[in-house]
Amino acid sequence: MQPLLTLNGIERRYGDVAALDGVSFSVAPGAYVALLGPSGSGKTTLLRVIAGFEQPDAGHVVFDGRRIRDIPTHRRGIGIVFQNFALFPHLTVEKNVSFGLLNRESETNMDRRAIDAKVRDMIALVGLKGLESRDMHQISGGQRQRVALARTLVTEPRLVLLDEPLGALDANLRARMRDELRSLHDRLGVTFLHVTGSEAEALAMGDTIIVLDRGRIAQVDLAESIYNHPASPQVARLLNCYNLFEGAVEGREFVSSVGRFPLDGARAPGRPGKASAYAIRHDRIAVRPVDRPISPDEAGLAATFVASEYSGSSVLSFFATAGGQVIEVEDHLSLREPPNYAQKQGYALAWEPRDALVFA
Amino acid sequence: MVATRDESEMTTTTTTIAAENAHVDPPPRNNGARVAYWLIAPGVVWMGLFLVLPMLMIVYVSFWTQTTFKIEPILTTKSWVTFFASDTYLGALGTTVRIWLTVLATTLLVGYPSALFVGLFVKNKTIQTVLLTLCVIPFWTSFLIRVLAWRPMLGKEGAINLILMKFGIITQPIEALLFSDLSVVIGMTQIYCVFMVGPIAFMLARIDPNIIEAARDLGAGFWRIFRTIILPLSMPGVVVGAIFVSVMVLGEFATSAALSGRKVNLLGNIIVTQVGSLKWAFAAVAGVILTIVIGAVVAGLLRIVDLRNEL
Repeated sequence: MQPLLTLNGIERRYGDVAALDGVSFSVAPGAYVALLGPSGSGKTTLLRVIAGFEQPDAGHVVFDGRRIRDIPTHRRGIGIVFQNFALFPHLTVEKNVSFGLLNRESETNMDRRAIDAKVRDMIALVGLKGLESRDMHQISGGQRQRVALARTLVTEPRLVLLDEPLGALDANLRARMRDELRSLHDRLGVTFLHVTGSEAEALAMGDTIIVLDRGRIAQVDLAESIYNHPASPQVARLLNCYNLFEGAVEGREFVSSVGRFPLDGARAPGRPGKASAYAIRHDRIAVRPVDRPISPDEAGLAATFVASEYSGSSVLSFFATAGGQVIEVEDHLSLREPPNYAQKQGYALAWEPRDALVFA
Repeated sequence: MVATRDESEMTTTTTTIAAENAHVDPPPRNNGARVAYWLIAPGVVWMGLFLVLPMLMIVYVSFWTQTTFKIEPILTTKSWVTFFASDTYLGALGTTVRIWLTVLATTLLVGYPSALFVGLFVKNKTIQTVLLTLCVIPFWTSFLIRVLAWRPMLGKEGAINLILMKFGIITQPIEALLFSDLSVVIGMTQIYCVFMVGPIAFMLARIDPNIIEAARDLGAGFWRIFRTIILPLSMPGVVVGAIFVSVMVLGEFATSAALSGRKVNLLGNIIVTQVGSLKWAFAAVAGVILTIVIGAVVAGLLRIVDLRNEL
């Protein structure tokens, strides 16, 4: 299948800083793609280049089989939902939603009644029925989010760009809007490119996840693969579920400042001698009293308990090594008893070498 | 008055609560509101003594009996009748309205595009400030110099005529340039334009750039965006600017005196002349009429946009 959108070596510089440094990827029609990146990774710049608000310094964007460099934003047929929603503050809900159909330059052959019907349907679809004549300051944050979505979706763009669409909502609403976004996508069959800084959001939403790091693509993969096999320490750090140690491979061991870890069975062991990184997932670490030392076929280290954070279904505990590095351990409450670690007490943290990842 | 009402309401609430929870201590009395009223006391006293009272006095004096040499507090409508019976004075009222509408139109015509450039197309906030400051620089010279400087520009042997003749565009100097409606409008537009540019540029600069990008993304071209988004969102600035310009132009007398050769008589000029010849009652009539006109204009302008939404 021909991709709907292809980016080819996109570069964008601001002075000496490269916001985008050779970004290439493609998006299949109908896909839900999540673009994950920390703040400052170039996510928003990338969206602005695709939408046509900014021109790339190098590379080209191919949309629907055509290079679109010379096509202005308002003729591209790409919808964007802004992070701050960017609703028209002087217009009602209905007028906001109908804006695109009434004012667009192309395809103005729709008659007024057809437009009204379409706007009505879209307002109903996003669950804003009854609020048509409300002003923007008379509706809640979640409702504004829906207006922003409806306003873009009603113009039937082939591709919808969502710039951290849930960032301005509170946690409760964010979870609900995730489901709604997903179901809107599935019902309308539109291609979504969803930009987010939250690993949880990216993993939950995207069929495919593109990880952007400092203006470069760090990894493109399915959600599950990204979580289990991050391609680089940067991706692992961004996923926020790995403890990372810097060091080097020496023989059959990984040597880091916190200790030596055996590599037998570890996935993708790096080449000996080269500086690399070692990663172990938060929920793969067992916490034991110090008097039960780490056996030779295990990897592990000694650390002091600092604090823990309860989040309902799991508990995240923080340990500090002698050198001050913080190790995070996650206990899923459905699998283990809630831990009861003593403050400032030493513990042995152990894990199976085969659960670890070693990056070259 | 207000304080009394607040207090009685407060007493009612207190009683209700006390009745419901008899064992609970009554809530502490809220003295904050009453103390806050003292904050506006100096302003109220000042405005009362030096604005409201004099205005009432002017209305009163306009009904006094004016003779050639003195004015007596004997009530009569003679000054009012004279004003409305005189072509000169009604003409001055007409001229005032005509010049005001013209200057309002020219300041808008010159000011809006400038404000659009500064407020919307200049992205850099520092440059925006610099440009707006440039608009204010003419105010560093005195009002009189700014007005009188137009004479050597517009006069029969002034700069404009000389240049046009030098290039052979005209053979005779254009006399209508100075001492005419035109010169008064030119002078006033130059002086008051900045009061139009400022508020409009301020409103335009407040528009979230994402909103304009969103409109573009939804398929609208520049003129559509201007008509449906930019213009409506800048209207409060236009109204505030129009109020500034209107209030100042309607009360003007110096520009018309200096640039019209006394041919253009505004209500302001009438007041100056009447006060000069000690015709206080008559000046008061013109003053009251001018105040009513200005009040009506401001009220009318405020109906266009609900400024409460913008603050």
